Amino acid sequence: MANLLELVDIQKSFRMGNAVVQILAGASLTIAEGEFVALVGASGSGKSTLLHIAGTLDRPDSGAVIFKGQDMARAGRFERHRFRNANIGFVFQLYHLLPELNVLENTLLPAMVAAPWYKALIRARPGKALAVQMLEEMGLGGRLKHRPNELSGGERQRAAIARALVNTPSLLLADEPTGNLDPRTGQSIIDVLVRRRQQGAYTMLLVTHDTAIAKLADRVVRLEDGKITAA
Amino acid sequence: MYKLFLCFRYLTRKGIVIFPVLAVWLCVSMLIVVYSIMTGFVDRVRDAGKELMGDVVIQSTLASGFPHYHGLQKSLAHLPCVAATAPLISTYGIMNLPEYQTSAEVQVLGIKPAEQSRVSSFGKSLFWQYRAPLDAANDLGGVRFPTTAAKLIAWGRTRLDAALKTYQQHQQAVSKLKPIKGHGWIADIQRHWQVIKREDYRQAQYHMDRVYRDLRFVEKLPPGMSIQSDAQLRAVLIPRAPTFKPPAVALTHYPSAAAAPKNGCVVGIDIGLYSRDRFGHYHRPPGVRFSPVILTVVPITLKSTLASPQSRRFEIIDDSRTKVFTVDRHTVYAPFHVVQKMAFMQQQDLLSGGVRPARCSEIEIRVHHDQNQAAVNRARDQIAAAVRRFTLNHPAMEISGLSVMTWLQEQSQFIAAVDKERDLITFLLGMMSMVVIIVIFLIFFMIVRDKTRDIGIIKAIGGSEMGVGSIFVLYGLLISGAGTLLGVVTGTLFVIHDNWIHDDILWRIFGITIWNRRVYIFSRIPDQVSPHTVLVIAGLAILAGLLGAIVPAMIAASRDPVHALRYE
Repeated sequence: MANLLELVDIQKSFRMGNAVVQILAGASLTIAEGEFVALVGASGSGKSTLLHIAGTLDRPDSGAVIFKGQDMARAGRFERHRFRNANIGFVFQLYHLLPELNVLENTLLPAMVAAPWYKALIRARPGKALAVQMLEEMGLGGRLKHRPNELSGGERQRAAIARALVNTPSLLLADEPTGNLDPRTGQSIIDVLVRRRQQGAYTMLLVTHDTAIAKLADRVVRLEDGKITAA
Repeated sequence: MYKLFLCFRYLTRKGIVIFPVLAVWLCVSMLIVVYSIMTGFVDRVRDAGKELMGDVVIQSTLASGFPHYHGLQKSLAHLPCVAATAPLISTYGIMNLPEYQTSAEVQVLGIKPAEQSRVSSFGKSLFWQYRAPLDAANDLGGVRFPTTAAKLIAWGRTRLDAALKTYQQHQQAVSKLKPIKGHGWIADIQRHWQVIKREDYRQAQYHMDRVYRDLRFVEKLPPGMSIQSDAQLRAVLIPRAPTFKPPAVALTHYPSAAAAPKNGCVVGIDIGLYSRDRFGHYHRPPGVRFSPVILTVVPITLKSTLASPQSRRFEIIDDSRTKVFTVDRHTVYAPFHVVQKMAFMQQQDLLSGGVRPARCSEIEIRVHHDQNQAAVNRARDQIAAAVRRFTLNHPAMEISGLSVMTWLQEQSQFIAAVDKERDLITFLLGMMSMVVIIVIFLIFFMIVRDKTRDIGIIKAIGGSEMGVGSIFVLYGLLISGAGTLLGVVTGTLFVIHDNWIHDDILWRIFGITIWNRRVYIFSRIPDQVSPHTVLVIAGLAILAGLLGAIVPAMIAASRDPVHALRYE
């Protein structure tokens, strides 16, 4: 199967006061199209940083982020915004839904980013059919008009997954999506992610501490001392 | 698309936006109200000042005036820019009202009323010869034309019956009022209620007087007279040219006038003979008109020394309201030739032989296209050149020190002061409105802090820096736009209805009087709103909102998405 994403010798350090902390020290990872990779590692090992770099939210100090043969680490700012909107879906531990928007509006937001401005004036809702279908499949059909503060943790995370998938991205990056949920709800979230992956054939890189979840992945990699090793 | 969408959502679902909207609303509203009223006031002052005199005035620096004015008038009449000219004699004196046992210092203006009315609004300032018949034409002109004088008289009598009935009702209501004893707010409200009833009674009385006056004007018309239109009604009721001649009614109804030489005079409305109610209406006691006046002036010789005082008896035949207080307070108008003689400015035979030509103090000139100040200025230059040419042929005029000024130059000190006052108040309010920018900046700064995580999310789903920044810029524009719209609507409505708000809300309900019409020269609070002013204020308000939002928007745009997502 062809490679979708290649992280090549990624180096990243942060300045903390006067000290410089090396988080990633030559991390390399290749993910094939349609593959489900679980990324594990100790807290503070740089998993989220690597995920952000893979999703072009952050730039590495050095190294390459090659997506379908194109090095996105060297791409321009606007190109990376467009790329992220079209190809990447993020799922965060803390859901990160916008509190002023209801479930459907939150889900549609990535589709709106891609749509021209005048569609707001004609109250068009690009991607609405897909979003409603996904939300209904996830059991949120009766919650479309509800605001995030009216939902449970599991419902919020399902809404966040629907938002991540509304633009049918090639790569889903999930940063401990069950970390804030009880085990049963967490399992239901993982079921949703796995089921949707099977339906939509997206590639998934999932950061987790949970070995049971990691076992569901096609491959498990570990981040240790700033480098990727096989688990 | 998401930028507009998020803007609308933030606007409609974040309660804090009410504060910047409120700040912009109040400031816009306040600026429109203050600027419109002050501008209306300044415009009225300017209009009154302009109508007071001719567009261009030729004056002498000598109190004894200048000769050959008649020749100069003839010479000026040939200028294409000149529409009309009128000579005027200005002197000071004492007005004595023997029937009222009162006297006052006055400026005595000797004018030719018909000529003066062509160069200034003197004719339109007269009550009995212009405003009262105009009121009658307006009040009775609501009928269907063509009509006859008989029908108008019948209509006038019907109105009078109705007015009398209303008056009697108010009179009855007032007669039943008993003094309110005690203290406290209930007693205060009761007293205020009584004040309103008495005021309503006075208004009913004023209205009845006016209806009666209207009737008297149409009763003078032959009953069979056919009147085809409103314009014709005005033409028959309003005299073509004002006069100082006492009307026949004065001679039949007032023996004192009949016994006097037939010299009429006109007094300024604020000279102290007429009272004014809180609505700005002047009440004219019946005895004042046609009562005798002794005017005493002190002539000034050619050597600028005082000659022996000259007194003469006149009858008050009318009153004048120019809306320039100092003029209405201190001016008495009398026939030109009479005042000229009293001031020793008439043609005189000299003992040494020869003749000393008659003199006047000013020549007032109306020019064509007088609404255009540039045209007035050009006319002044042409007139000044004509005066210089005329003076060369009349050496006696050279020492008179003639000056040629426009009305604006003549009154520049007064009008400039009012102009500056308006600009100063607007500037101070504008400075206060800077608070709007600061309020918007602070609230936006708080919103951007509050929305830090949202910024991270928007960037994570593909939103650009410019996109995030423009959300907050648009947000600022929408907030200032909403506040501006509300401010324009409420400010404009307030100005248009300011007299109603003042009289029927503030005074009737709360007993508050801000615009005291007994004091102010204008009866109505200015209630015109200039679209240009509204546009400028609205534009500035939206700009203020933009300025307040732009720095927080730049901060939002530059937020690192990774840090923003971790923000708690």
